[in-house]
Amino acid sequence: MLWRRRAGMNGESDLAIHGATPGENIDESVRALACARHLPQPHLDRWLAMNERSRAAFLEIAQTLRLRTGQITAALELLEEISVRDATDCADILAAPEIARIRLHAGSAPARARELIETLRARRFPRLRETSTRLAGAIRELRLPRGISVVLPRELRSDVLTITVEVARVAELDGAIEALAARRAAIARIIEMLGGSE
Amino acid sequence: MNFELDAVFIEDSERETALARRIAAAVQDRAPIENVADGRVPARAIAGADSFSAGKRRMVVMRRRTPFVMSCPAGSARFACCGYLVMVLASNCPMDCSYCFLQEFVADNPGFQIYSNFADAFEELERIAHRAPDRHFRIGTGELADSLAFDTMTGLSRELIAYFAEREKLTLELKTKTDEIGNLLDSDPRGRVLVSWTLSPEKVWRTSEHRTAPPAARIDAARRVLEAGYRVAFHFDPVIAYVDAEREYAELLDHLFEVIAPEKIAFFSIGGLRMTPGLRAAARRRWPRDPMLLDEHVLADDGRLRTFTPLRLKLYRIIADRFERAGVKVPGYLCMEAASVHERVFGAAPASPATIGERLARERERF
Repeated sequence: MLWRRRAGMNGESDLAIHGATPGENIDESVRALACARHLPQPHLDRWLAMNERSRAAFLEIAQTLRLRTGQITAALELLEEISVRDATDCADILAAPEIARIRLHAGSAPARARELIETLRARRFPRLRETSTRLAGAIRELRLPRGISVVLPRELRSDVLTITVEVARVAELDGAIEALAARRAAIARIIEMLGGSE
Repeated sequence: MNFELDAVFIEDSERETALARRIAAAVQDRAPIENVADGRVPARAIAGADSFSAGKRRMVVMRRRTPFVMSCPAGSARFACCGYLVMVLASNCPMDCSYCFLQEFVADNPGFQIYSNFADAFEELERIAHRAPDRHFRIGTGELADSLAFDTMTGLSRELIAYFAEREKLTLELKTKTDEIGNLLDSDPRGRVLVSWTLSPEKVWRTSEHRTAPPAARIDAARRVLEAGYRVAFHFDPVIAYVDAEREYAELLDHLFEVIAPEKIAFFSIGGLRMTPGLRAAARRRWPRDPMLLDEHVLADDGRLRTFTPLRLKLYRIIADRFERAGVKVPGYLCMEAASVHERVFGAAPASPATIGERLARERERF
């Protein structure tokens, strides 16, 4: 390994270089990891198209968290889209405190790898995340009895709320109808929220 | 507008048509003119990094071999549609919006085709009108091309206006992102021609609507054609949910109403940015630095990437409410959205496509 991680003063890590020029070493290491993970060429190209600082930052996190192929491709895509939309570069995105924390804290590498993808997804879709959280909170507040579920459309892709009632006895059906009727106003509000009302 | 052309191809059989002659005279030394036996050949994609862009600079004057008039290709039973009829007089467009569906739709035939036998479309229209003599139809030329982008060169609008001005139950819609209205100002539409503009906030124009007229210039052009006896309409399509969109779409409408009184607007439409995965891939490949292609879209049930529903509908409401608050009832419709969405935005279930189409075509009776 040509690269050695070292802890910085602020707890972040950076990369120390031995031997060849930094750019060459980074690219060699990127290619080596891409080869080991059978990373498709378009994704490798996307990685190598980053500036040197970003290439190195992503290499470091990919190695530290032992990202799998699918995670590397997902992360590269998310990073590229965030960097274009927010006019920033990938190294800056990866230096954000919530990602530095994932990189440095204890825990299994696979769990931290999943957390990295989730964190990047949250940054890529901040308003979707915020709206989903708000709607999920409104559903929790319904305190529905067992056997009734209110489910949001996946990724809020439509305006259709799914309400499921599971009953085995007529009494359960009566109870479910009563429970839903008692919550009609709150459910109506969730339907309105799903349609873009505050 | 002054668009670049690399070459103009004219089909042998069409060389003596009025349209081919006009174009040849207008092109002069701006681009080489080549005669070809079959215009479909140069219209095809040519090998290269961006054959779509190259196609835009290769004008092909040719005979259309298929019908000119068709139902809007965006129509579907799953959507509440507007009953729009499309008259295809050209294919592709010299402008280059990063989100444009033509990047996928005409990918195999990206040459900028202009059909010299366009008058055949009038016979098709006569047949349509004859089959339903009591109905009004709205027919547009701006679906597969901008209606006015090359009008200085082709002069097509004059012939279209002359035809539609005589047809009581046919309304022509010229849809554009240009301010190329010179030929319109000295024609008399007799209230039977409607000119519509797609409007986006300045930020979207700057990043994504390449070679189009700025939004303020489009609005000013609308004012001028309105004064010349045309009806005007506006399409807020695609609505893009970028960070400042809520405020900037509202500001765009404020500016529009400052220049054009709402009661003078025939109708408006709204549609969200929607892309098939294939279109998105093509657009991202061609415009990798365009942030507008990266709003918070998810794969919707119709297989298109759309802004997630609550945010998309919130933006629609902002636009619809602005019209509502203007104090006059301006008809509005949604493009490629379900009836439930229409009801959420406008507060009522949509009418059938035929009824909406009829209503929009007859809007002239309001003026």
